[in-house]
Amino acid sequence: MSGMIREAAKQLVRSLEKLPEERVKHIVSLKGSQLERYKYIAGLETGSQGSKQKPSLQDIKDIINRTSGPLGLQKDTLKKAQDVIPEEQFTAETIQEQAQSLNTILSNKYRDYYSVGDKLLKPQGNPVYYQRLMDEIEGKKKETFWTAMRTVVLGK
Amino acid sequence: MLNYTLATGSRSTLRALRNPKNGLLLKNASFSTKSVKSNEPDKFESPEELASKSHLKTQPIDFPNKAPVNPKKKRPLLSDSKYESKLYQLPKWKEALGEIVIRSFNLDMDKVRSGPVAGSYYYALCKEQGLQFENEPLSTTAKFFYHDLKLPRTFSQWFQITILHEWILFVRMRAMPFKYGKNYQQKLVDRTFTDIELRLFDEMNVNSSRIADQYLKDFNSQLRGAVFAYDEGFVTDDSTLAAAIWRNLFGGRKNVDMVHLEAMVRYVRSQLYVLSKMSDREFAMGGFKFVSPDETVYRLSSQQESDMKKAVIEKYEAMDNNPDLLPSDRSKLSYEN
Repeated sequence: MSGMIREAAKQLVRSLEKLPEERVKHIVSLKGSQLERYKYIAGLETGSQGSKQKPSLQDIKDIINRTSGPLGLQKDTLKKAQDVIPEEQFTAETIQEQAQSLNTILSNKYRDYYSVGDKLLKPQGNPVYYQRLMDEIEGKKKETFWTAMRTVVLGK
Repeated sequence: MLNYTLATGSRSTLRALRNPKNGLLLKNASFSTKSVKSNEPDKFESPEELASKSHLKTQPIDFPNKAPVNPKKKRPLLSDSKYESKLYQLPKWKEALGEIVIRSFNLDMDKVRSGPVAGSYYYALCKEQGLQFENEPLSTTAKFFYHDLKLPRTFSQWFQITILHEWILFVRMRAMPFKYGKNYQQKLVDRTFTDIELRLFDEMNVNSSRIADQYLKDFNSQLRGAVFAYDEGFVTDDSTLAAAIWRNLFGGRKNVDMVHLEAMVRYVRSQLYVLSKMSDREFAMGGFKFVSPDETVYRLSSQQESDMKKAVIEKYEAMDNNPDLLPSDRSKLSYEN
């Protein structure tokens, strides 16, 4: 029985590894936290990858500048919540369910099925909105002072 | 006048949309499966059914954080103003005076309408989705969020649910002509923060304005972060959107249920799909309503889509050509896109 669970968890870990890396670093990442959670069940070595890598000084500065602690939570409470390993009862079936859902997400089924077309992706009021956003995130084209001022004045 | 446009305008557009003949929102009840089966071989369950299908019974760590809102004094849904009460009827002479003012100053009604539609009607929609009070039954959508997805019943969770829905509306507002879309967004955000401030004082029993300010600043940065993350997920792929939902709506919980995430991705994408099929005019008149999580949205066939468009165009053409149309009902927004 436990062998089956482990096998299912290994499958799930394989899917989890397909999740894209975050373009912008955050305090926690879906991929990292879930890999940690399921690698433990799959009996794989945890911590060798991504999630346990020490953040660089730049990352920490970046995160501190962007966020204060989430609302109403003391910093140490937050840390406690992050450190707790929840006790969970898995069966092979539940893990397969998780993997199935994850694969649906990975296959972009809903983006393609509910495709919104250029009407929303290149919005009439501000056609380059998403393009600029992605360029900035991916570092392709940085905003300069003047383009930023233009946005402040014109709103787009 | 204004409330008149809102009430009847929105109801009739909704009827046009929910009409099975034009069928944009097809309930998963009997008729939808009948009419849709032919062009949609794969049958979907609704987000709610999907979420409750999961067999993972573990309790999220934050789930027992129960602090349902227990107000000493309950605020009305929108405001204390009599003009926003459903029962209030504007006296005829005031209505007439308003029409005269609009006509003589040639006011831009599309701009004026952003207040009652985005600031009032759409904000109420977003607010209602996750609204919860102690000892009060939850709405269907709230049940989906608090029971099926096992989110904690707290004030900040309500805020997260609200801004998710606001973001969905923002996406559509961006596609309106810039001047109007921006105005609609501004009105929605303004209203959100005025309302939260009042709720903090009246319902959450915050007595110090310094603490309330701190909360508001925090909420503001949460809103900006969430809009950014959802935007990124919206243009890229489902996994980025799922990660954004996980970080914001699910508070980055460690033992998240992937089935719940999938249900949320479907929920968000289906709402956006419905919005993408709506013309500027209908949306600006307050013709949108969120699809309840226990309903399934199926894609329209091209036949259904053109039928729906035709019905909408006919309706607004008749309205625009009507010489007796009240000045307050006028609009220059397109009904063809």
